[in-house]
Amino acid sequence: MSTTTAAPPAVAPIDERTRRRRRVSATPLKYIVLLGFAVIVLTPVYVLLVTSVKGFSEIDPSHAWSLPQVFTIDAWHQAWTQLSPSLKNSFKLAIPATILSCILGSLNGFVLSKWRFPGADFVFAFFLFGMFIPYQAVMIPLTLLLDDIHFPAGIPRLVFAHVVYGIPITALIFRNYYSTIPNDLMEAARMDRAGMLRTYWYVILPLSAPAFVVAAIWQFTSIWNDFLFAVFLITDPSKWPVTVALNNTAGSLVTPFNLQMSAALLASLPTLIVYILAGRYFMRGLMAGALKG
Amino acid sequence: MATEIVVKDLTKRYPNGFEAVKQLSLEIGEAELLVLVGPSGCGKTTALRMIAGLEDISSGDLYIGGKRMNDVPEKDRDIAMVFQNYALYPHMTVAQNIGFSLKLAKTPKKEIKERVRRTAELLAIEQLLDRRPKQLSGGQRQRVAMGRAVIREPQVFLMDEPLSNLDAQLRVHMRGEIEALQKRLGVTTVYVTHDQVEAMTMGDRVAVLRDGVLQQVDSPTQIYDRPANLFVAGFMGSPPMNLAQATIDRQDGGFSVGFGEQRVAVPSELAQERRLEQWVGKPVIAGIRPEDLEGSADGGSELGGEVVRIEELGAELLVYFAVDAPGPKGQPVAAAVTGEELEHAPVTGATGSIFCATFEPRTQVKIGDRVETRVDARRLHFFDPETDEAL
Amino acid sequence: MRGVRRWGPGLLLVSPSIILIAVFVYGLIGWNARVSTSNWRTAVRDNHFVGLDVYKELRTDERWSLDLRHLFLFTITFIIGTLLIGSFLALLLDKGVKGEGFFRAIYLFPMAVSFIASGIVWRWLMNPAPGDRASGLNVVFDKAHLSFLSNQWWQHPDYGAVALAIPAIWALSGYVMALYLAGFRGVPEELREAARMDGASEWRVYRHVVFPHLRPVTLAALIILGHISIKVFDLIVAIGGKQIVTEVPAVYMWVLIYDSRDYAKGAAIATLLLVGISVLIVPYLVYTVRQERRA
Repeated sequence: MSTTTAAPPAVAPIDERTRRRRRVSATPLKYIVLLGFAVIVLTPVYVLLVTSVKGFSEIDPSHAWSLPQVFTIDAWHQAWTQLSPSLKNSFKLAIPATILSCILGSLNGFVLSKWRFPGADFVFAFFLFGMFIPYQAVMIPLTLLLDDIHFPAGIPRLVFAHVVYGIPITALIFRNYYSTIPNDLMEAARMDRAGMLRTYWYVILPLSAPAFVVAAIWQFTSIWNDFLFAVFLITDPSKWPVTVALNNTAGSLVTPFNLQMSAALLASLPTLIVYILAGRYFMRGLMAGALKG
Repeated sequence: MATEIVVKDLTKRYPNGFEAVKQLSLEIGEAELLVLVGPSGCGKTTALRMIAGLEDISSGDLYIGGKRMNDVPEKDRDIAMVFQNYALYPHMTVAQNIGFSLKLAKTPKKEIKERVRRTAELLAIEQLLDRRPKQLSGGQRQRVAMGRAVIREPQVFLMDEPLSNLDAQLRVHMRGEIEALQKRLGVTTVYVTHDQVEAMTMGDRVAVLRDGVLQQVDSPTQIYDRPANLFVAGFMGSPPMNLAQATIDRQDGGFSVGFGEQRVAVPSELAQERRLEQWVGKPVIAGIRPEDLEGSADGGSELGGEVVRIEELGAELLVYFAVDAPGPKGQPVAAAVTGEELEHAPVTGATGSIFCATFEPRTQVKIGDRVETRVDARRLHFFDPETDEAL
Repeated sequence: MRGVRRWGPGLLLVSPSIILIAVFVYGLIGWNARVSTSNWRTAVRDNHFVGLDVYKELRTDERWSLDLRHLFLFTITFIIGTLLIGSFLALLLDKGVKGEGFFRAIYLFPMAVSFIASGIVWRWLMNPAPGDRASGLNVVFDKAHLSFLSNQWWQHPDYGAVALAIPAIWALSGYVMALYLAGFRGVPEELREAARMDGASEWRVYRHVVFPHLRPVTLAALIILGHISIKVFDLIVAIGGKQIVTEVPAVYMWVLIYDSRDYAKGAAIATLLLVGISVLIVPYLVYTVRQERRA
């Protein structure tokens, strides 16, 4: 392309061509980059899987990354033995807490978005702040208070704590979801002579499934994965949920690597299964900004 | 069981001081269909919602069937409402939507089923009873919304622009159906719309609102023939009334109204009725509807001008021509204004006004021609330029 | 009067939650602050008011300064890392690629895993042992002839905290990506098309049309990441346990409570964490609620 006599019109077609070329070549490159990141993100999974099925003799540094020569589920057996009581505890914790949390969240979200009262926005902000606080700031008094009122020790305390501190996030999820329901639906129900509770039961609740899914997945995952609350509120090792058990026994530094990995994987299995099965809804919630907080 | 509605000095005031409805007073008779019409933001929907109980009344009184309803919650007012966007419960079938209010009232299931069936028959939607709202067309949803209201056999129907989301042809069809239904059921109805054609065709009486203030309430014919003020004159009727500043003079023992250089004789009864003698030499605003300006092929001209625009509508021909008289508010204004504030109408650039006349369809006229029209002077309207009120 | 009848039931329905939050969030925060001003330094409960003594102690506590330094390094690395990676991934995915759902699912999956579990893996990956005894990433570097990259990771006395940020970046980049992707897609396509019609190149379209839209997203991301960072506890414990080399304020607090029984000091640290977060969160909350009102 001559630079001295090249007329301006010549620039435009070339620009178009380069742009098209750029876009076409961008796509394979894009895929390479995306796949690269995917590999990086999945590396820990590889390590977990591969190490957890290795025998004791293969977990030394020289075999660190290679696939197992002998495939064994010894480590898994051991992990199961060590963790199954705490797994049970985690289920006893996560399932009731999630259910209660969602119900409470739905009711709160409903009132804060559709059956508002003066100061509803302030109450919402009042709740939201509770979602951001460092829970360390309430741990000491919380244990003292629960002791003082003789709240049943062990898992019930954790359930209670998670339900209470789950109020903000569940209210956020449901409130954001309910705000997408048109107001004239509420007015039609009013004209049909429905009061607050009947409006909730007959009109709002049937429409709430997507929000329940998002809230349930989020709460189940956070509650199952929680460590801080458990470590402060549960003093009896037999009542530990799996995160604490993992950290203190199966995952500790003195445990052989294959057991560490199999234990970590075992402890994560429920939330991973939830994610694989229902992750779509989880993502939908994230993408829709339902979890803007 | 009389079900008339009386509204006295009804006002809606918002915390920031804005008054959406200002001291509205109306009486709606038993089984009457009253249309509340006006441009967007005029307060008609707010007034309707105050009657429904969906908005609190800031001041004034509301009586339904002789009982004061200000503090009665909406569910006890025995009113059914049809919403603009229908507000159908998306997770319920048509049958469940219609029967919902009965279910809440703990009506026995058999009775609900029977009444739903009858209502669906009335509205010709029996075959849709098991469908969900999202499977229905706009017109079908509209009927379900009506069914939901009708089944309650209330004292009052309130309708908030129920046809505005339908396409034009369906709207025309549904207008007739709604009116027939109302007549058949004999329920007092308040109907809100921004479409003045709907208002004219449907209402027993029409109430025109502007900026929260009632302009006029009358039968459609009266509103059309004797608009109470400039706004009503310009708002009702399509194409809208031609309006311009004019002068009154004595002429040939009678009176004439002058648009610029052109003069039109005013029949003496009209002049007497409007007391035009008080206005001689003073400026007035005069108006004449397009259909009262006939294109005249022969010489009998009273009002004419250069054609600036032609609209061939098939059934009639609208010819817009320039008249050398300033618009009602002084600025040049195009007569082709519908329902918007006259001040906001597009400015043409000419110093005078543009008048619209109806000609025989297919008359050979083109832009630039000079046309002559004959004025049906009995149908002249006059307004006080200071108060905008009709003389 | 009528008003109360209408919204009264609503208020009643949320009142249990209001009470619970009032007590268990605000009440306990107050109580905690009170503990921090008491003389409760041992297993024996002692409620005497001693004012801000314990805070003054912290100011000269070397361990506390070390923790703050660690936290600072961690936060900077974490926030910059997640923002860069998250926004980059969102940029790549914005125009829609085949298998977008697949990629999104992969990038987001770390959110389903607890920090304890992922900590175990990252501890192995970031094994500080060099040369012959190396495992984890050090081995990869050696094998790839990038031995200069092999390092002490979290055991590094000065920059160990930076290494700790890596698992955190791994865990949260996906979330930031989701935020930015939603932000990108919130830009109406017509705006982009209008810009293209006006002759803007794709890059210019991004720079002048899309990126300005993203300021609220970046703000939200900063606030959220910032507050996660200040609170970080599980991850540190999983990798470094109670070792000083990885300690951050949240861990120090736990150690004080459970090992030293120094409740007042622990409560003081907790209060300081709270203050740090409030500085971020309160303005943000006020801002979002007000934005919502206006909308």
